[in-house]
Amino acid sequence: MRPAAPLELAVPLVGIVVVIGVYVVAVLDQAISELVGGGTLRWRRVAFDPLRSAAHLVTQQRRTTERPDTPGWILAPALLSALAALALAMVPLGPTTVAADPETGFVVFSAAIAFVMIAVYLHGWSPNSLFALHGAYRFGAQALSLQIPFLLAMLATTLPAESLSIVDIVQAQESLWNVVRQPLGLPLYLVVGVGASFWGPMNLPDAADLAGGTGVEDSGVARLLWKSARSAMLVAVAAMGATGFLGGWWGPWLPGAVWVILKTLVLLVVLIAAGHLFARVRVEAFVVVAWALLIPLALLNIFVSGAVLL
Amino acid sequence: MTDALVADVLFGAFALGSVITGWRVFRTDSMMRAAFFLLASFAAVGGMLVILGAEFLGMVLILMMAGEMLVMAIVMVMFMMNPAGLNPMWMVHQHRVAVAAGVSSFLAIASLGFLVDFREDPNVQPEMATVELGIELLGDSMLVFQTAGVLLLATMIGAVAIASSRGRFGAAEEGSEEPALDPEDRAAS
Repeated sequence: MRPAAPLELAVPLVGIVVVIGVYVVAVLDQAISELVGGGTLRWRRVAFDPLRSAAHLVTQQRRTTERPDTPGWILAPALLSALAALALAMVPLGPTTVAADPETGFVVFSAAIAFVMIAVYLHGWSPNSLFALHGAYRFGAQALSLQIPFLLAMLATTLPAESLSIVDIVQAQESLWNVVRQPLGLPLYLVVGVGASFWGPMNLPDAADLAGGTGVEDSGVARLLWKSARSAMLVAVAAMGATGFLGGWWGPWLPGAVWVILKTLVLLVVLIAAGHLFARVRVEAFVVVAWALLIPLALLNIFVSGAVLL
Repeated sequence: MTDALVADVLFGAFALGSVITGWRVFRTDSMMRAAFFLLASFAAVGGMLVILGAEFLGMVLILMMAGEMLVMAIVMVMFMMNPAGLNPMWMVHQHRVAVAAGVSSFLAIASLGFLVDFREDPNVQPEMATVELGIELLGDSMLVFQTAGVLLLATMIGAVAIASSRGRFGAAEEGSEEPALDPEDRAAS
């Protein structure tokens, strides 16, 4: 572990970033939804609707199911939030401004993404309910197919850096961002990233055709926590995309931290807009695409990046 | 608290956590819970490895276990005819043999801790540990690992081919049916 921000400072900061990120996702989602729907943007509604929904959920009556696995049900949203916070802690705002910069940052981030499937599966299995379980199994197929292309797309960014540390990955992009160096990288990362954070067209486990999927039995605070955790995961995926492919803190005129936030916002808009512009994919078709198309493309990306470096 | 003390406390917590969750694997009454406990146990072992300075190995262990445990849970539920692992069941069978095998393998592995001559100079630089691992994998042990890698790849391709939806009787999602036994029916259909 290399020197990073002191724990007393880093932990609250990451927590604040998670809370702000969740709110920003809710606002962007509402705004893009109204723009895509062709309506006029009403800022008051866009800004306050998420807060109103949150207040509604906090005061809602709790429901439960017959013989659920209560510890698992409580644990699932907490686990997903913790994973999002862990992933966000790996994102550097500057060469030394980072919550944690372990030597194996890439592996830590990938482990957080891999554990998302455990959180979603636990969330769908524990309520002892049909549609929730159905959503959990869908995500099992989806996430297991996504893991390898996700790892390979991210792994390519460690090649120019010759390091698994996220700070080193950004340092290596000073002259040329990875989005130019590896043209396949960012599109691949966004496709698998939107799948790993089960958002928009890839929201199969919590889909409306399952009446809410793994979240169908959630109510009140538990539902709010699960939705927030999902949004936080989306922020983490966008922030890591901005870091790994869009050059992180590198950029003219503005301070590095502002660049990281701006780039993260751009990717967030892309990811959220995808949810309103594309239809939900079918899991059977997607699994075939992941194994037969995304993995070969990701391998090609790695081979080309390696060959260029040699 | 000093860093060394924090490391000791964390190591103890992970060690205790891995043993307790490992014990719960056999005492719980559901396959899914057993899989989750086993995952927690492995994750705690990964945490111990990280604290021991093997950062890369520890994190990779945690990373790989997430997918493996999910696959294991799904396959267990598939073959055990226990709907979604929700029905209570015993997680052990052949109790005496299992206890004897467990105790003897624990003693055998634990005795390694006393029998092996460990290096006096602990490797304190995690980045060097990763570098040494890479040199070992692509140096002396290359043949072993490349052979194992090709073997695993062949197994994966074989498993995908077997599990593929395009079987002998058509695509699985289109309700494929075996051909009729009677040749005349077969000609008609």
